[in-house]
Amino acid sequence: MGGKVTCTLGEVKNRADFIVFWGGNPAECHPRHFTKYSLMPKGKHVPNGRKDRTVVLVDIRETKSVKAADIFLQVRPGKDFEVLTILRALIKDQAVDPRQVAETGLTLEQLTDLVARMKRAKFGVMFFGMGLSMTRGKHMNSAALLTLAAEMNAFTKFVAMPMRGHGNVTGADVVMRWQTGYPFGINFSRGYPRYNPGEFSTVDLLVRGDADAALILGADPGATMPQPAIDHLARIPTIVLDPKVTHTSRLARVHITTAVTGISAPGTGYRMDEVPIPLRPALKSPYPTDEEVIRRIHEAVCAKPDWIHANGQYTTNQV
Amino acid sequence: MNLNVVKHATCTFCGCVCDDIELHADQVRIVEAKRACVLGKAWFLNHTAESLYPPALIDGQPAPVDDAIALAAELLDQAAMPLVYGMSNITCEAQRETVALAERLGGVVDSHTSL
Amino acid sequence: MIRITGGKVYDPANGINGQVRDICLAGGKVVADVDGGRTIDATGLVIMPGGVDIHTHVAGGSINFARAMTPEDHRRAVAFIRSQSRRAGLGGMAPTTFATGYLYAGMGWTTVNEAAVPILSAKHTHEELRDVPIVDKSCLVLMANNEIVLDLLQAGELERARHVVAWQIWASKAYGVKAVNPGGVAAWKWGQDAKQLSDPIAGYHTLTPGAIIKGLAQIVDELGLPHPLHLHCNNLGAPGNVTTTLESMKALEGHRAHMAHLQYHAYGGDDWSTMRSETVQLAEYFNAHPNLTTDAGAVLFGDTVTITADGPWQHLLYKLTGRKWGNLDVENETGCGIVPYSYRPSNLVNAVQWAAGLELLLLIDDPWRVFLTTDHPNGACFWRYPEIIQLLMRNDFRRECLASITPKARKAIKLPELDREYSLYEIAIITSAGPARALGLKEKGQLGVGADADLVIYHDDPDVLRMFSHPRYVLKAGEIVVEDGDIRATPEGREFLIKPAYDEGIENFLRPLFEDQYTMSFENYPVEVQRIEHPEIRDCMGTE
Repeated sequence: MGGKVTCTLGEVKNRADFIVFWGGNPAECHPRHFTKYSLMPKGKHVPNGRKDRTVVLVDIRETKSVKAADIFLQVRPGKDFEVLTILRALIKDQAVDPRQVAETGLTLEQLTDLVARMKRAKFGVMFFGMGLSMTRGKHMNSAALLTLAAEMNAFTKFVAMPMRGHGNVTGADVVMRWQTGYPFGINFSRGYPRYNPGEFSTVDLLVRGDADAALILGADPGATMPQPAIDHLARIPTIVLDPKVTHTSRLARVHITTAVTGISAPGTGYRMDEVPIPLRPALKSPYPTDEEVIRRIHEAVCAKPDWIHANGQYTTNQV
Repeated sequence: MNLNVVKHATCTFCGCVCDDIELHADQVRIVEAKRACVLGKAWFLNHTAESLYPPALIDGQPAPVDDAIALAAELLDQAAMPLVYGMSNITCEAQRETVALAERLGGVVDSHTSL
Repeated sequence: MIRITGGKVYDPANGINGQVRDICLAGGKVVADVDGGRTIDATGLVIMPGGVDIHTHVAGGSINFARAMTPEDHRRAVAFIRSQSRRAGLGGMAPTTFATGYLYAGMGWTTVNEAAVPILSAKHTHEELRDVPIVDKSCLVLMANNEIVLDLLQAGELERARHVVAWQIWASKAYGVKAVNPGGVAAWKWGQDAKQLSDPIAGYHTLTPGAIIKGLAQIVDELGLPHPLHLHCNNLGAPGNVTTTLESMKALEGHRAHMAHLQYHAYGGDDWSTMRSETVQLAEYFNAHPNLTTDAGAVLFGDTVTITADGPWQHLLYKLTGRKWGNLDVENETGCGIVPYSYRPSNLVNAVQWAAGLELLLLIDDPWRVFLTTDHPNGACFWRYPEIIQLLMRNDFRRECLASITPKARKAIKLPELDREYSLYEIAIITSAGPARALGLKEKGQLGVGADADLVIYHDDPDVLRMFSHPRYVLKAGEIVVEDGDIRATPEGREFLIKPAYDEGIENFLRPLFEDQYTMSFENYPVEVQRIEHPEIRDCMGTE
């Protein structure tokens, strides 16, 4: 199984009567998610707003978001995949091993109750956060949740959506997909896009010492990445574009200050549900935009001799 | 003093990308961000149009932007396997240019998604 | 300036059928004569106007979803290596934007119509179209499940609905109106479908799919859009759906309409094991009703990825295949579903589909009303069009292929009895002149003086597949873009838009509804015209 069964946030607002948040803390990380999109709004088919919706929070600890939920299910850390797999069995009335249920930190009663509620829903949605996708199991956890949501459509309408973090990370996915076919971690060293997460992803490249220069923009890995990766960034020539002088700027050869996205730089951003939204800056920055600086770097690179031979056209034999 | 009012402004701090914000700004700072949440308010009010930082730094020293761009191009062009990383807090228009640059360099382009 | 001499010209819009004549190009147009410039010796070669794809899915949220779901296919696809002037790209089932332009131009197609755009994400579609090089573009906005429009149709407020539709066309910077499974996608938001034209739709009291079809066809005609209502009928892909298709066509009497990918709506039988082709009945009705045009939506055997706004059909396909499933419901407007799929000659249903697409192309007697498409990427990828041309032009080749399909299919299809072979003149009609006329693009699909200088020069090769796969030259706006399989230039194409007349006051009606039902600001909803790279705003026809 692969794929994703999802919707835009307005569908949640207008229809969702059963909402699960899994491994996320929207009250603190996406503060208006509850009020603008998911819990509180009165929707076309949920006219009483919050009263017409049942809200379940699944997490390994009690966060501030628990207050907003009707049901809180506390999963033992690292057991999300197991819970999701048991739920996939339960919706199909398959037997589950009580010992495996016990290991999850939840009871069979809690899980069968959840399944019954999911099936009674007219329109169910599961939002999942980094507590699911960035812990033990990682993308396998996300895949299990997406599969559960897809399989629920045999019983009722059900969708799932990742709670994407930083501003326009969704836009980066979208743009890379249409330009290269792949969402991230793309290697152009053969003149066409290749993709192999784990091989061409940033932390792996840096920790192995494969990259011999880096251009960082719209991110501050110096504050967030594992130390061996940061150490390598300090060893190689690193270039940073950012509105502020960041941790990464301090270990870089070159820093260029740029205008702030949406505040002093115009353009487009994508919402977590891949809806494009125009940006309306209120300030005029003394600094150039990222777009402008990148274009100028690109032009300067293009003025140099090209590394690719001129007569390459296409290959039907990717290696 | 007259404030510049921008209606239907968009907050790109988190993935909600709320676009119903009303911004009131003077020449250098946003003084009010109506309907923004606590994170959004901090985002809008903490970024100003002041020149708080040098336009560019080379080896930690202030430098003209033109020099920084020329050196950036030189360093990236010289590299055998340049890495272009991030793109979360930039516009789609800038992302489009960034992928084009990575392709010209023959490098790797990657975002937060791979973490 | 270019003079092309000595070529055999197939220009059906101007009645030219293989006569040898010079064609002169200047300023991106066909002109009567040129003085100087380059001469292309086309002696012994065949010249046609550049291909026009009336129904394809190449840009926007759904094809981009399909790209995300098929990395394994990108790996085996043709890879375009970047050059100093040209971006890299990958072909395959869901090509990247740049590769889409190269692949279309590479076989001589110079205009494409993206057939399914939600208003909510139209900005995304246009951003992608901007990155599709060489070809000119247009797109159709999805309307038959738009809840604001549906509520107005239910209330019988047709006049207001017309203003809303006109506003929405301009808001999305579209060229025309597409109706997909009218009411069925709205019902899918509750996990249901709308299969009967006269049954009320889930979530509505009285509104039926039939009423949506009639209402929208009337609105499109009243607005005078150059392209008629573009209809994907209810009940796509299901055995026995020919009755729904015929009812839909009857509902359209008195209106212009384009029936999209008719192959998928041409089945008899009661279930998958008794499914059969009903193209004979369908073609008979169609032949007698000149208000209609259609495109084949032909199927070729092999792997592809299916993408359609028809969400309920994709859920069924996912259940049948057990493969990956993508679904994206778009608030208040539409949805889309994505399922990778392999058409196999050994499978009865697939064999019937393969035959039905060809049958429609062979049974519909007026080539000006039936066009070559595969509903890319649904029936097959667009870059396989030369294979369909070969099947249409070579009866002996068809017979060879027929021998390889499951014997069970033989009595469920009509194809073995059809001996018609297409001429080059007819191929030029179904690939170029016809679709250009149906789109109302007067300067496309023809090579008369004043036409766009978009044309393709083929070797006159008895091997039809080779001939149409490898043009000698392709010219776009008078520039050589492809020569002997090499991409020579990648100019940016234009986008055609329509601004139909509407009462500006309609925004006062829309704004409160929008604020209730949507999650973005009304002011941020329309696509600004500045976002379109090379917009060309076309006129509506005089209202009848």
